[in-house]
Formats: sequence, C-alpha cells, structure tokens
Amino acid sequence: MKLTIVDAIREALKSEMAKDETIIILGEDIGKNGGVFRATDELQHQFGDNRVIDTPLSEIGLVGSAIGMAANGLKPIVEIQFMGFIYNCFDQIISHAARLRTRTRGKLSCPLVIRVPYSGGIHAPEHHSESMEAIFTHTPGIKVVIPSTPTDAKGLLLSAIRDPDPVIFLEPKRIYRAIKEEVPDEAYETPLGKARVVTEGTEVTIIAWGAMVREAVMAANMHEGKIEVIDVRTLFPLDEDTIINSVKKTGRAIIVAEAPRTCGFAADIIACINDKAFSHIKAPVKRVTGFDTVFPLAKLEKLYLPDAKKIDMAIEKLLVY
Amino acid sequence: MAKLNIIQAVNQALKQEMETDKSMLVLGEDVGVDGGVFRATDSLLTEYGEKRVVDTPLSEAGIIGASIGLATQGFKPVAEVQFSGFMYPGFDQLISHASRMRTRSRGRFTCPMVVRSPYSGGIRALEHHSESFEAIYAHIPGLKVVIPSGPYNTKGLLTAAIRDPDPVIFLEPKRVYRAIKEEVPEEQYEIPLGQCNIVEEGNDVTVISWGAVLKTTKQAIADVDAELIDVQTIYPLDTKTILNSVKKTGRCLIVHEAPKTGGLGAEITAEIMDKAILHLQAPVARVTGYDTVFPLYKLEQQYLPDEGKVKLALQKLMAQ
Repeated sequence: MKLTIVDAIREALKSEMAKDETIIILGEDIGKNGGVFRATDELQHQFGDNRVIDTPLSEIGLVGSAIGMAANGLKPIVEIQFMGFIYNCFDQIISHAARLRTRTRGKLSCPLVIRVPYSGGIHAPEHHSESMEAIFTHTPGIKVVIPSTPTDAKGLLLSAIRDPDPVIFLEPKRIYRAIKEEVPDEAYETPLGKARVVTEGTEVTIIAWGAMVREAVMAANMHEGKIEVIDVRTLFPLDEDTIINSVKKTGRAIIVAEAPRTCGFAADIIACINDKAFSHIKAPVKRVTGFDTVFPLAKLEKLYLPDAKKIDMAIEKLLVY
Repeated sequence: MAKLNIIQAVNQALKQEMETDKSMLVLGEDVGVDGGVFRATDSLLTEYGEKRVVDTPLSEAGIIGASIGLATQGFKPVAEVQFSGFMYPGFDQLISHASRMRTRSRGRFTCPMVVRSPYSGGIRALEHHSESFEAIYAHIPGLKVVIPSGPYNTKGLLTAAIRDPDPVIFLEPKRVYRAIKEEVPEEQYEIPLGQCNIVEEGNDVTVISWGAVLKTTKQAIADVDAELIDVQTIYPLDTKTILNSVKKTGRCLIVHEAPKTGGLGAEITAEIMDKAILHLQAPVARVTGYDTVFPLYKLEQQYLPDEGKVKLALQKLMAQ
C-alpha cells in the first residue's frame, strides 16, 4: 500500500494496538479529533475511549500518568502536540521516565513512547517549530528516534513501542504528507540504533536526519555518485559504525541539522568522527545548521532552515579543498 | 584584600550589587531566613528586608516565572534554584519565555534576570542534586550560561551577569564552594562574559575545562607544558581564544563532568575540527562523565573525571 509518513504512523499504531492490549494512547485531541495532524484518526472509534484517551491540556499530567502506567505493566504512547509544548513535562521525562530503571536497580522499567511532531517549515506560530532533539540525546536513559520516510516511520515506531525503555519519537511534520511510498501491510521492525545509507558516494559523506535527509539527497543529486547520504534514524544510541565506515571511505563530512548550532547533535557526530576516523579526514568537517536564535516566525523560516542550496555550497567547498 | 571562598564571593557580589542597584532583589527557596541552603544569601534578609529578599514556596516554575515578570517591569531579579536538578519544572518558563522575551517583543522588552544554581557532583548528595546540564542551556538561543571556578572569577562574573541586559544561567560548582580561597578585591568589579581565561600558558597541549573539575585538571597536568583554559562563559563561547591556543599547541584535551554525548566537549571539538583541523597533531581528547544517570555517592568518584583519568588521557594524547 502507498502511504505517507502520517499514514504509516497511524498504521503502526493501529496494528500494534490490535495485537497488544496493554497499549494505551493519550494526548491532546488525539481521540475524537483524531490528532491535530490526524495521526490517530479513527483509533478511538476502533479501540474505545479507555485505550485512546483525550487528555486535558497538561503535558506534565499526560506524561506523568504515562510513566505510572508504564511502570505498572501498560504500554502508553503519548502524543505531545508540538515540540514547543514539551518543556512543561521536562521534569517528568528527565527526573522520572529516564531514571526509573536505574533508580529501582532494574525492578521497574518505563516502556513509554513520546511521539512529537517536530521541526520547522510549516509556517507555524511560535512554540511549534523547534528542533530540540539534542536536549534528549544529552539526557541519559532516553532513546531518541527520528524517521524520514514512511517505511522507516512504521518500522521504527513499532520498534520504539516494543522497546523496554522510554523512547522520544520525533516526527518531521513538514514531510508528514510530502512523501508517498509502498509500505508493507504486515507489521515489521526497523531496528533502533541503526543508520541507513540512502545514497552511496565516494567523495563526501552527508549525515542528516528527519526532514533534512530529503534536502541532503537533493543536494547529493547535483553531484552524481560523489555524495554518500546517511540517515541517522536513531540519534541515541548512535550507530557510530555506519558513519565512521563512510567517513573513512570519503574522507570528508558534512552534518546537516535544523537545530541551533551550538551544542546541537551535529557536534556529537563530529566529535565521534574526531575520535574514530581522525587520520582519514582530508578536510574540515562542516556543519550546515539552524542559527543560535529563537526559531523565526513564518516570514523568515526559509532563511533559517538548512536547504539543498546551503548544503550544496558546503559540498562545493569541500570538493575543492 | 580579604581571602574569600566561592560562597563568600557570591554573598559579597550579591550584597554589593543590592547596595548599588535598588531595583535588584533576590528570591528562592530558603534564601531569606535560612540564608540559603549553602549560605550564599546569608544575612541579606536582615540587611535588605523581606521585600527584596523573598522566601518563595517550593515551586521553581513560580520562582522563574515571577522573576520574568519582575525583569520585564524594571526590576533585577536574581533567583536561586536550590540544586540544578530542580531546574526542570521551571524549564518552560526559561525556554519559552525568559530566553525569548527580547526576540518576541522585537526588543521592546528585555529580561535582565539571573538564575543562580549550585551544580555538578562530588558532595555525596542524593539523586537530583549532582547533575551537570550546562550544555542544555547552551543549546537554548537567548540564554547566557556562566560557570565560575574560583572566588575571584565568581565575584566578577556574577556582578557582570547581574548587570547583563539578558537572562543568565549562573551555575556554581558547589563541590569547591569552600575548597578554594583567593584574594578577592573589596570593591566591585566585572569580569566580562563571553571570555575564556587562560589560567596557565603553555606550548605542548591545550587543556580546556570549567567549574569544579578545573581544580582537578590543574593538579593533573602539572608535569606537562600545558596551556590551561578556564571556559568561564559556556555561552556565548569564546571560540577565538580556544582556537588560537589549539593552533599554537596542536593538541587539545577537554575535561568536563557532564555526560559525554551532547556535552560542551563535543561542541568545542566540532569547532576545532572545522576551524583548526590543519593544526591538529592528534585527535581532540575528552575526559567526561558517562552517558548514565549521575550515580549515588558510593559510585560518584568512579563517575567523575579525576586526576588519574586526566593524566592517562594526557599521556595518550602526548604520545600521538
């Protein structure tokens, strides 16, 4: 069946809920309304309001409840409507979800998925366009997953739901409906912690995730056969081997990320290249990122966001270095 | 000049600035009657009264939220969050409001506030008391992040932070609150934000650190001709001083307490890999905490970078 990313997410939720009766979905407008982006459309109709719960507008409440459920044998999947709303429940995520396993020396675990539409590019108001993945990759105890295609969205979400620990699942909302592809009907898992080589090339490795993968591939297409694009897919734990093997082959790397530059996850990947592929590097490792400013309103967001053109400029620089 | 420790330097900086600037007030949990859990605000209440030294309820969102309101209306709030692990309930206020007030209002409002918080490990504390999350604040546009390492720069940096027109997160290395005594000038002075301090000049390797672990690092590198840099301001980061030093020495070691992934060590490494790669004679080395929850006190010595770990990393680096 041909599906978009948002369709694939709904398919994953639907098939897993049918199979595993301990799964509960909770969030703002996810029931009757089917979710602000329709990711949970029809689910309440199918599974009832005991398993698909419309919550009050309280992120701290819904994540807090989900932690309690997860610790007591249920599998809650939470939707935070936009990434900018997640700060309210930081304390629940960092001080509790992330630590339950350590704190109880393994007696309790917290099998919880927090789905969040994230990143910019849809002309949204303030608080709707942030890319704050790096805050979670810096928080021990949390896995961070970001799909970039419908096939991966379904497979990664199923793996995240079946994972025994808390997973932050960030959905690149700009491309929710931009890509349609054949997605297998049956349930399948795409393993967490594994990157994907999207296009092979010999001269430069571009490492990206989320909506930026598409931009990276567009830039790569301007340089036939020269550019290897890697979709990180799981930011934490990071698949260092795939990245390092590629950089050892090409000797040049560009990391693309929407988030502000300073202390973004791109820096981590560069640090990893420094640690493990230093002697193979032929040129400075470049970052194409957002800026260290608050994410701008609609009029300026195109200037803020990395795109194929900005990536291409970095490629050109590295190719002649 | 009197010899002060860090906690006395904080206290003096607060007191003197409250004297100079009548719009300044201090608020937080136990900062008044009790004088602060570490006595940083000792005797401020008796001196300035409860309108300027406010004991708040146990609500970090409330403390930071109230500070934002005060800051936009002409006051200079200096809030204390008792331990940096208690900061998370106030994150929404910090990230969604304090850091954005200037941008959101196109400069009509600013948010001149300081959030002081004792941070990092090593005092055999309970859970939630030992975290080092400076990198998270450094990733939030609109926040400045400052970490002093000794009494002298504590007073100067805190005074500069209070006078800064924008929100500053001021993280105090509580493990060395009373471990270092230095001559501190009686008069007020500022150490500019956004500048690293070259603690010791050297030629063979650049060693970069900040906060409590700077002391450990300094002891560990005594036998090497190392240039020791105290970052002081985490954001905005003084990359110029760092890059110039690395270009001179060709080697770099970064020491920090925070978990490795996503730490400021990665950011510094990334800048060096972009802008000084041709000068490097070896990969940048990092000695950091682990990607685990900060352990309880029995294991905290294993978790924290110590002299042995820094020496080992330095040996390896110099042999390359």
